[in-house]
Amino acid sequence: MRRPITLYGLTFSLPLLIWQVLFFVFPLLFLVALSFWTVKNFVMQPDFDPVNWTTIYGRAVFWQAYGTTLTLAAAAAVLTSALAFPASYAIAFKLSDTARRWAVFLMVIPFFTSYLVRIYSWQIFLSDNGIINVILGGIGLGPFQMLNTVGATMIGYLTLAFPLVVLLQLFSLVFIDRTLIEAAHNMRCGRLRTVFEVVIPSARTGLVIAALFCFILAFGDFVSPVYLGGGEPTTLSILITDTTKSGQQWPRAAVIALTMIGTLMVVAFAAVKFAYKGKSK
Amino acid sequence: MSRDTLVSFEGVVKTFGSFVAVQKLDFEIKKGEFLAIMGSSGCGKTTTLRMLAGLEAPTEGVIRLSGKPINDLPTWSRDTPMVWQSLALFPFLNVRENVEFALKMRGVGKAERRKRAEQWLDRMQITEFAERNISQLSGGQRQRVALARSLVVEPEILLLDEPLSALDAALKVRMQSVLKNLQRETGITFVYVTHSQSEAFSMADRVVIMSRGVIEQIGTPQEIYRTPRTRFVADFLGSSNLFSGKVRAGGQGQVLETPTGQFVLYGQVAAVGEAATLTVLDTKTHLSVEKPAGAVNVVPVRVIGEEFVGATATLYLETAQGQEIRVQKGHDEIADLPTDIGQSLYAWWNPQDGHLVAEA
Repeated sequence: MRRPITLYGLTFSLPLLIWQVLFFVFPLLFLVALSFWTVKNFVMQPDFDPVNWTTIYGRAVFWQAYGTTLTLAAAAAVLTSALAFPASYAIAFKLSDTARRWAVFLMVIPFFTSYLVRIYSWQIFLSDNGIINVILGGIGLGPFQMLNTVGATMIGYLTLAFPLVVLLQLFSLVFIDRTLIEAAHNMRCGRLRTVFEVVIPSARTGLVIAALFCFILAFGDFVSPVYLGGGEPTTLSILITDTTKSGQQWPRAAVIALTMIGTLMVVAFAAVKFAYKGKSK
Repeated sequence: MSRDTLVSFEGVVKTFGSFVAVQKLDFEIKKGEFLAIMGSSGCGKTTTLRMLAGLEAPTEGVIRLSGKPINDLPTWSRDTPMVWQSLALFPFLNVRENVEFALKMRGVGKAERRKRAEQWLDRMQITEFAERNISQLSGGQRQRVALARSLVVEPEILLLDEPLSALDAALKVRMQSVLKNLQRETGITFVYVTHSQSEAFSMADRVVIMSRGVIEQIGTPQEIYRTPRTRFVADFLGSSNLFSGKVRAGGQGQVLETPTGQFVLYGQVAAVGEAATLTVLDTKTHLSVEKPAGAVNVVPVRVIGEEFVGATATLYLETAQGQEIRVQKGHDEIADLPTDIGQSLYAWWNPQDGHLVAEA
């Protein structure tokens, strides 16, 4: 049965609808159109030529960057989820109510400062003459190259996503029915095994959504791979800036951007489907 | 401790901070019996069950299972499966996986697991739902899954924490007979916690009545019904008329002097001068229009209400002192009695139907 649309409902939903059309659907359609434009003598002209698609998709460097970005984002999602889980578990099950509120508050604080500032401060720690190498040098170790490595990029992704992932995981863990855990214990399921047999399956939706958020953030991130990873290996976001800088190739950048949006949509749909698998509506 | 004792509580105390949930529990659970622990909420019955399951540790005292102290055994090292009030079925597993869970945790192989789960699915008549999600089942079906899940390991003892409280009345009665039959057929000791007198009395071999962390009485349902040990029990069961007073020496034996009148007691039952309460079952309290000749315990009363449930009629009466008296009879037994509101009648009982409990 369809419910009639009321003026009351429209008043509240219309602004959002207009916003979405103006700033998401419109630019997206423009991006699609742009990807068929051509560039002659550094000037873009409206056109309907699939040349940008064939050029970009015909380049090995694009597919390399695509593979790198997918791998890095997937690794960030897995790593962040794995590191965040013990923290969220402890906050959800081991802390008192007061301590839990403080922990949530502390997880929100990182959002007070700009992500860019947080990444720059990592440079102070990780650079060749940085804090960590100075300390290690004091005991006769190093210097180690830490900045401009994939590891540093990963640290950047963690900085970006960790607090959010902990919060998202936490909100699904605190709603787990405690009697399920007791029931598992009662049936000879030890503490650690209960985490895998009961806690994780119970919180699956939240855990998957948290990992998905981390994937999305890392997949599109430009700051960490450039300022911590030193631009190597090239990710799609770096490729986009390079493409726009070299000869006004906005149409080709649009192809890359559309490919990224398409990829994220597929991943997001698959993740949400998996997260809610077997749940009745 | 006798040979047929499965569980014994020896001086068990449980406190939560300054709150004493259970104080000095001393009782035994026999092998193969259906024991109900009954009381109102907060009486310590669930805490007692949880201590037996290993979900709470006793503050003092010893709990023994088959003679061995189990205080320090975590719940996952004891064989004391429990059925929760919420049933605690795993929503992310289907019916079969739920039933197989405990076997899987014991490292039982896949084929064996399936076979044993199949037997219990069949026994609980839920085979056709084996592949369903828990959310697709009705209340009664879930109940059966929960029982199968706990019984599949064929334990010596099964703990049940008000498992029927979420069901509607008709289903409750059906599940009661399912449970009773299951217990009889398997010979597994059932410990059943409930606040419902009808559940406890219809299923249990013995009933433990608790109040404020203390056991008030242990006995068969008949014993408790006919001879409540304390005033609390008589009050809690609500099936007796109570008269409080002092014991005095009377003509041939003893009498109880109460504000309502002086009642002849059956035999010498208490020390003279002691405060006590006389309990008379509402089914053993009789009514008549004329003062019955030869009756010794008679109270003049006035009808204040009546109630018909099924084949029984309950009459509510009031004495001149304002005490309420209840009489329960079959419809035909009171057919000739005028029961209009305000009608004056005589309530009476035979001295041997009166039962004296210490404390007023």
